[in-house]
Amino acid sequence: MMSNNPTLRISSVSKHFETGKGRVTAVDNVSLDIKQGEFISIIGPSGCGKSTLMNMIGGLITEYDGKVLLEGKQVRGCQPDIGMVFQEESTFPWRTAIENVAFPLEAAGVPKDKRLARAHELLDLVGLTGFENHFPSELSGGMRQRIAIARTLAFQPRILLMDEPFAALDEQTRLLLGDKVVQIQQQLEQTTLLITHNIAEAVQLSDRVLIMTFRPGRIKRVVDINLPRPRSSEMMGSEKFSSYVAEIWADLRTEASKGLKESEAAAAH
Amino acid sequence: MALASSMSRASHVMTYRLIGVTTILAVWEAAGASGLFFRGVLPSSILIAKSFWRLMGDPVFWGHFGVTFFEIATGFGIGSVLGVAAGLMLGMNRYTGKVFEPVVEYLAATPKVVFLPILLILFGIGVGSKISLAALSCFFPMSLSLAAGVRAINPMFLRVGQTLNLTLLQRIAMIYLPALIPPLSTGLRLGFGIATVGALLSEIKLSNKGLGHAAMQAYARFDIPTMLAILIIIFALAGMGNYLIGSLVKLPGPDSSRRIKSPS
Repeated sequence: MMSNNPTLRISSVSKHFETGKGRVTAVDNVSLDIKQGEFISIIGPSGCGKSTLMNMIGGLITEYDGKVLLEGKQVRGCQPDIGMVFQEESTFPWRTAIENVAFPLEAAGVPKDKRLARAHELLDLVGLTGFENHFPSELSGGMRQRIAIARTLAFQPRILLMDEPFAALDEQTRLLLGDKVVQIQQQLEQTTLLITHNIAEAVQLSDRVLIMTFRPGRIKRVVDINLPRPRSSEMMGSEKFSSYVAEIWADLRTEASKGLKESEAAAAH
Repeated sequence: MALASSMSRASHVMTYRLIGVTTILAVWEAAGASGLFFRGVLPSSILIAKSFWRLMGDPVFWGHFGVTFFEIATGFGIGSVLGVAAGLMLGMNRYTGKVFEPVVEYLAATPKVVFLPILLILFGIGVGSKISLAALSCFFPMSLSLAAGVRAINPMFLRVGQTLNLTLLQRIAMIYLPALIPPLSTGLRLGFGIATVGALLSEIKLSNKGLGHAAMQAYARFDIPTMLAILIIIFALAGMGNYLIGSLVKLPGPDSSRRIKSPS
């Protein structure tokens, strides 16, 4: 189960952007240890730098201060041990579901029968058995996002990074997909870092929820979620669940209002 | 159920097409017989059909056909290879795009036939000037649609490639090329049509071979049925080319039969 040594250590990571109006600090001195098998959510208002943080961990941003250590080794740039799922549509429309999932294996030169067998397992894991030969345009948004998750899991990454993977989906699909993700994560003991702005989603899925401040993005507070596992969206009615949601919102509210004020001020100019 | 309804829709489409063609033929015959036009300007479709069959058995005609086919194919080939290369360069590099694209766009809007005198001087009145005008004509729609296609690629596709550390060759083969097939197909079809225009236009202007030349000869003899038969053959040639490109250069999708068998 969970060991005490962190799988992923984020050590004093900061990122500044030069803009026309001067230097903007997107992420300010964030440190975080993630243990093997842990599910952590980062929640924060729009513009708090949470996507920037994820892109640094995932290796899409390589210029930053501080260090990201995977099993003690510094990482910079993309690598197979860290898989990423994005909010935006990323399935290839010219590939069937199974060919989409097999994409990373194909790129790595895994023989066809092996990669299709593996893709088959992964589609089964995300509950899409029977849809192997469907093209993305024939599937719903939630199904396409499950294909993207299965594709990212093809190499069993040490860390699964998800940047608002359910943001484009409707509420009910989002809840059901959350249940699926929790189930997969538990089954694989997959260390997962989820970026979200949805409080209920963070509580539903996570062991720990990190609340980030509005610009510059810092970690404001860490909330341990002591809800029993296995979890499901049915727990949303429980008193404990609601108290976590209320607790996180109390902290998040001030940050979100700062963000709102700033964007209204920008719109007024 | 869905299949049956789509089949009945397809048969409706065919019915309307037949009605359309029949109407045009009827109007043509009526106008020809009405006496409103000079005699022989709108010959009966039976006369045209007779000329058509005569041409089919005429080796001289097939010589012209071969010349035009060669001009279009070569011009289209050269123009589209260069057009694709230029389109990729314009689309993939922001600076070359900024510097050269306005120039390409202005030239694209210019009728290429204005270059014909220069091409005639450079390549002579033989096939050279026809091929070069065809190539020049199809270069522009090819390069512009490819450049637009490169810029329209979903950035998420490229990001997936980036997270998987794909090599440049893998990114081209597995992401860029399939993602570019729709604009490539559009560009090729536009390019083919306009290459045909280029080749025929220069044949009509100044030449001693080719379908354009043969049509003009028939015109000079006032052999209108033969001229119209040649024009119909030119239409058929352009249509076939367009159809072939459209059905060969396309992506697998829900309509395609390319669904792999899953191992189970």
